[in-house]
Amino acid sequence: MLVKKAKLFISLFSLMFFLSCFEGTDFEQANDVLLTPEIELDLIYFNIEASQFYNPSTSTEILVLKDTTDLDFLGGRDINNILKKADFLFQFTNSIPREFDVSFDFLNTQNQSKYFIQSNIVSGNQTNPVVTTFLEEIDEQEITDLTSANKVVISVAIASSSQNLTGVLNLQSKTTYYLEIDQ
Amino acid sequence: MKKFFFFYIFFGVSVVVSQNKQLLYNWDVTPQALMLNPGSVVASQYHIGVPFLSQIHLNAGSSGVSAFDVFADDGVDINTKIRNTIFKLSARDFFTATQQLDVLNFGWLSKGFDPIYFSGGIYQELDFIAYFPKDFAILAWEGNRDYIGKPFDFSDLSARADLLTVYHFGANKQLSSKLTAGVRIKLYSSMVGLESTSNKGAFTTSQREGSNNVYEHTVVDLDLEVRTSGFLSLDGLDQSQVSRILLGRALLGGNLGLGFDAGMTYQFDSQLSLTASVLDIGAIFHSSDTEVYRASGDYTLDGLQLIFPELALGGSTIPYYDNLEDEIEREIPVDTLNIGYTQLRPTKINAALHYDFGPRVGDKDSCDCRSRATKEERVSQAGVQYYTIFRPRGPQLAGTLYYRRKFGNSLSVKTTYTVDRYSAKNIGAAMSLNLGNVNFFVAADNLLDLSNIAKANSVSLQLGFNFIVDQQ
Repeated sequence: MLVKKAKLFISLFSLMFFLSCFEGTDFEQANDVLLTPEIELDLIYFNIEASQFYNPSTSTEILVLKDTTDLDFLGGRDINNILKKADFLFQFTNSIPREFDVSFDFLNTQNQSKYFIQSNIVSGNQTNPVVTTFLEEIDEQEITDLTSANKVVISVAIASSSQNLTGVLNLQSKTTYYLEIDQ
Repeated sequence: MKKFFFFYIFFGVSVVVSQNKQLLYNWDVTPQALMLNPGSVVASQYHIGVPFLSQIHLNAGSSGVSAFDVFADDGVDINTKIRNTIFKLSARDFFTATQQLDVLNFGWLSKGFDPIYFSGGIYQELDFIAYFPKDFAILAWEGNRDYIGKPFDFSDLSARADLLTVYHFGANKQLSSKLTAGVRIKLYSSMVGLESTSNKGAFTTSQREGSNNVYEHTVVDLDLEVRTSGFLSLDGLDQSQVSRILLGRALLGGNLGLGFDAGMTYQFDSQLSLTASVLDIGAIFHSSDTEVYRASGDYTLDGLQLIFPELALGGSTIPYYDNLEDEIEREIPVDTLNIGYTQLRPTKINAALHYDFGPRVGDKDSCDCRSRATKEERVSQAGVQYYTIFRPRGPQLAGTLYYRRKFGNSLSVKTTYTVDRYSAKNIGAAMSLNLGNVNFFVAADNLLDLSNIAKANSVSLQLGFNFIVDQQ
């Protein structure tokens, strides 16, 4: 009787083990896991008054305004390995009755130009500010250049200026970063 | 009365989801039933477990997702399956792991006019729970591009892990012919602890008319806290030093805590009984070797504002980027504090109604060692069990219907049907066989998924090998 029970017990016990298994799975697929987040992030903005293009004390035009900012997050191997594409969107709203030449020069730590973006801004006026939008798409081949830079120099050039010039040149900009992160 | 010496060895693999041990509850095969209800009717006159082998218990599981959901060999790209899983899960889904190792377990019946069953022991426990941080999983997987205007909620971040030793001592007494009650006091000795369970705030990328830039990236009402205990002094040490320190903490050298268990059995009549227990009402007081990280505040990021200053030739430019970093640090400061904190233990509640029926068990010539209570044991018992564990986001419940059948004194079988967050079709079975002095024991959960464990949200398997010496 006891032996019978023992046999039953062992049979059920074994059955459970033989029945149990991982079926229809492939854990090697873990090697193919790829995160592809697309991140929207504001970049720079400014509001340049028309008066900034004229020096009243010397009565001279200022035909080029320049400013520089570090973009520390851009530089470095880490971002280079995962950044596959970047779209820069620049949106200018111009109420100054002048055209502008605006450039963005991405420099490395040795101040060498690694990537250069340039655009012409259409003239506007204070009652009808004109919006100029341009998109700079940086593909995988060019990303290495971009990520070797760690600062950007922005130049805003005006053809001519005067004491009576009024209006504002506004920039809003953002970047879409396309990342690919594997294991 | 014969002396009964219960000497058992328990080994093997057990994978049980959650700390619910519905197959072992009120199943008087091993002294572990007493750990689940200090007021259970005690079977043995005394028992002692083999150090480190009396119970090895491993748990792992997740609600809402199985290995098959992600790793099925079905030709579908794994990244598509992960994405589907992220959207299928909610922030209330969770991943748990529990491991217990009984270092020592003993008990004896103190006879005399007023018999009391004393029991005590030491066990080590690792308990881990992490809720699925849905919002941040979406943010990591997809980014914010398609989620402009959506708040990503920091309260989704909730996790907790404890490694501790528990020293316990309890008393169990039959108070009347109907009532048996028991209590157990527990001293917790924490080895390491980590928790981050009360976070709040939200991160949103939004577009607003009149804003400075294309977007506004806002962090609102942020309040994050991560509490750690026992990690600071381990930093930079090698493996052997860490082991030595952890062993010292296991032996009451760590942050200590206090708790208790209580339980009862009420016999309505010879067939109907009620059992209930509450386990781990207590807390660990982390006072030394703690590090608490806090970040709080509000901030709106809208990019870098350039002002095109007039610079003298060779003058330095404005450090816009450094200024921005400073501003963020000022608005959302991250503090590291060495302050103490109290951590509540995850309290568990068991309750059950049992009904005995069928012919009486046993051979009349042999010892009825389970007869300290007045009831006569019958071959069949059926009942309903309730279990709840208090987790950081509230209680997790489970309900179980069960049937237990004894075939003489040598074979006992218990089957359970459990409904919980993991599954609504969890069928379990346990068998125990006594062959002379040796007791074999096996319990398995989620039998419907046993043919393919990958499809199970939870898998449970317990094997037992008990060596019983019956001293006369």
